[in-house]
Amino acid sequence: MPAPAPFDPQDIVDAKYKERAVKDGVTTKRTICQSCDIACSVVSEVKNNRVVKVRSSDNPIFRDNICMKGIMAPKGFANPNRILHPLKRVGERGSGRWQQVSWDEAMSDIGSRLKSVIAEHGPEAWAVSTSQWNTATDHGLGRRIMNHIGSPNWLSGVALCAGNTAAVNRLTYGWFPFGDFNNTKCIVLMGHNPRRHSWTPLYNYIRSAQARGAKLIVTDPRQSSSAKRADIWLPLKAGSDTAMMFGWLKVIFDEELYDKDFVANWTIGFEELKARVDEYPLERVAKLTGCDPIMIAKAARMYATSGPAIIPWTPITDMQRNSTSAIRLQSILRAVCGNIDIPGGELLQGFNPDIVNESTIEMHEVLSDEQKSKQLGSQQHPVFTYRGQQYFNEPTKRVYGQEYANLVMGCYMATPSATFRAMAGQGPYPVKAFFFLGNNPMMSYANMPLIIDAMMNQDLIVAHEQFMTPSAQLADYILPADSWLERPWLADFWGWMSTVRTSEKAMDPPGEARSTFEFWKLLANALDRPELVPWDSLEDLYDYRVAATGMTWDRFVATKDVHFAKPEFRKYEKVGFATPSGKVELKSSVLEDLDFDPLPYFREDPPADPTFPLKLFTGVREDGFFQTGHRHIPEMRERHPEPLMFVSPGTAKEYGIAEDEWVEVANELGRISIKAAIRDTMPDGLIRIPHGWWKPEMKQGAGHLSGALKYADAQLCRDDDEYLDREQGIPHLKGVPCQIYKLTPEINENISDEADLEVTV
Amino acid sequence: MSSSQQLSRKGERSAKFTIWLADRSSRNRSMLDKVCRWLVVRETTPPPEEDFMRDDFVDSDLGFDPDELDRYQRGEDIEPLNR
Repeated sequence: MPAPAPFDPQDIVDAKYKERAVKDGVTTKRTICQSCDIACSVVSEVKNNRVVKVRSSDNPIFRDNICMKGIMAPKGFANPNRILHPLKRVGERGSGRWQQVSWDEAMSDIGSRLKSVIAEHGPEAWAVSTSQWNTATDHGLGRRIMNHIGSPNWLSGVALCAGNTAAVNRLTYGWFPFGDFNNTKCIVLMGHNPRRHSWTPLYNYIRSAQARGAKLIVTDPRQSSSAKRADIWLPLKAGSDTAMMFGWLKVIFDEELYDKDFVANWTIGFEELKARVDEYPLERVAKLTGCDPIMIAKAARMYATSGPAIIPWTPITDMQRNSTSAIRLQSILRAVCGNIDIPGGELLQGFNPDIVNESTIEMHEVLSDEQKSKQLGSQQHPVFTYRGQQYFNEPTKRVYGQEYANLVMGCYMATPSATFRAMAGQGPYPVKAFFFLGNNPMMSYANMPLIIDAMMNQDLIVAHEQFMTPSAQLADYILPADSWLERPWLADFWGWMSTVRTSEKAMDPPGEARSTFEFWKLLANALDRPELVPWDSLEDLYDYRVAATGMTWDRFVATKDVHFAKPEFRKYEKVGFATPSGKVELKSSVLEDLDFDPLPYFREDPPADPTFPLKLFTGVREDGFFQTGHRHIPEMRERHPEPLMFVSPGTAKEYGIAEDEWVEVANELGRISIKAAIRDTMPDGLIRIPHGWWKPEMKQGAGHLSGALKYADAQLCRDDDEYLDREQGIPHLKGVPCQIYKLTPEINENISDEADLEVTV
Repeated sequence: MSSSQQLSRKGERSAKFTIWLADRSSRNRSMLDKVCRWLVVRETTPPPEEDFMRDDFVDSDLGFDPDELDRYQRGEDIEPLNR
């Protein structure tokens, strides 16, 4: 905290940062942007019931947290191809023939058909995929209805992005910490690269911390922009993060840089862990990671001795065959270095006590043990399913006051690959009804060919969407969804942090677009269970959720755009950790009970296949897009007209590839077309490709899917056993064997063959 | 209490005060709130030459015309929007 400053009231008037003057006919709304998953607090300016501008917040703690995706949102949601009315499929699945129907007609038929599926196959035959993180407004209602109806088969992209990290973090200390960027002295970025227009608040936090003198360590195969600013950059081999962290622990243990008091008083399994770490001398780690052992040791010392340090969440370790061990090692590093629940370290915040959280609304306690045991994937890969998370019910009640804590929605999920196999008729029982909301599942999980087969094998598919995505093209019903400009939001961040933020509704939704709240309420009614969603409106639900503040929702949102819980540190000294032992479990009792190795380990790559000599890193993010979205916005497509494959000059030369040349990337699972972008920041032998490419202007329907069959990276994402994490069952996306081929001009011409975009109504 | 524990407790008090300050600053209604906001602004505003958040796309601060957005949504031919 800065020293007290002399205060002159005139300074308030003269402060550089000023709230903007109100313009004629323009009203302002304090909103939270949901054009990506980082949730920037912004201001929406409204004129004639239209949001005409999205700009930076007037609140200085959110200043400049805005990027091009938020700024372009008013135009993105005004796109002429936005779905504005319910559509019912009238031809064969994927034929592209639709009939406009009313909401009442659609929901009545959906309810009737879903009841038939449940009557014939049981409630577990209904699966739902909501990218709840992105739509951010499911309010827990989807899970609530599923839990009452009896289906455990909910899945989401958070299975391989943050949600699974939350579940795995619980194994070690019972909660998912959030790094205290404001007070930290050292930040470790493991492969991800927040930028001005990508995860903007994190970029702001990191740059601000560096400006205050915090150290930055980056582990990344390529020299990212963060790596260029780092104090230490470790250019490790893709997918070797686990080995790298073993090396850090080896140095920290050998040189006794760990927090001995904390380890002695608050951990179990130290000696067993130390013995496992001893299997990774720096020479071995250097070989596994491809990094200089001197620099590995230097980074370990910097992390352990700089003061409170943080290892922020990274998607890179969420998507590896060693994911569970990698996430566990991050947790272990945080703990043994004494960074847990201290200022500048990793905060275990718990829920905000003033707000009814979404985990409570979800009502997991009503789903029977018998139905929970049917959750797909839970027998082979249990960690983030009910089976793996049940161990935390009692400890979580003891420490955080409730049994079920669905942190980042990742703690009670079905395993995606197992669910799609069941949908395709390859599972322990059939899944015949599939709903997805704000989610493009075909392209968002591994093994896209399997997902297409799975969708083609359904009796009922319902999409709640804004645009005709490749997944929506295979639906029976597409129901028009609202956008974040058109609804309020109470953002509780699913327990990751206790701070709650609010977003005002800025304009009415166009056409017949409706919110997820209305969707779930109408579905509960259609299933003859109206009592499951007893609130009349979203605002009514929010009144209930904020009642403990003594305010109504209207009053709450008008009073503040952020609501902090009273900060507390070292809470474990009073109540212990929310693990079965009450301590930090360096050796996991839960993994041991589930018959997995209770200590972290490193699975080396399978033997090299000469057919696929290169390594593929999928999931590259482009500033103008988020996940599979925003391809319909002209300004964004101008910035990213084609998907680009990043490759080193050496590898490009070896394959005779020139800049901007079209190539094909292939592996055992599939192939995609992509343009080459030669970068000297890339290492030889590795290529990086972007996530989620399709082109809305290309031909729709089965066999085309608006270019997804040509461009989508999910066609290269394997989910066979060698490339799945054992404990979670999530795929390895960071270092998959592949090959690249130059494309002939004929194929190149076909790539630009665009088709009619009109929806047949 | 050891010196490191004293330092740790001081850090905790400081962090708690920062949250209190941010909370009052965010409310921005009473005189005390506004003083807090002034302090937060003062402490978080970097000199322009060191302001890593400056960006042409953001700083141009342009918006859209509501009538043009209406026409765009209807699929009518329009001039490039106001960006």
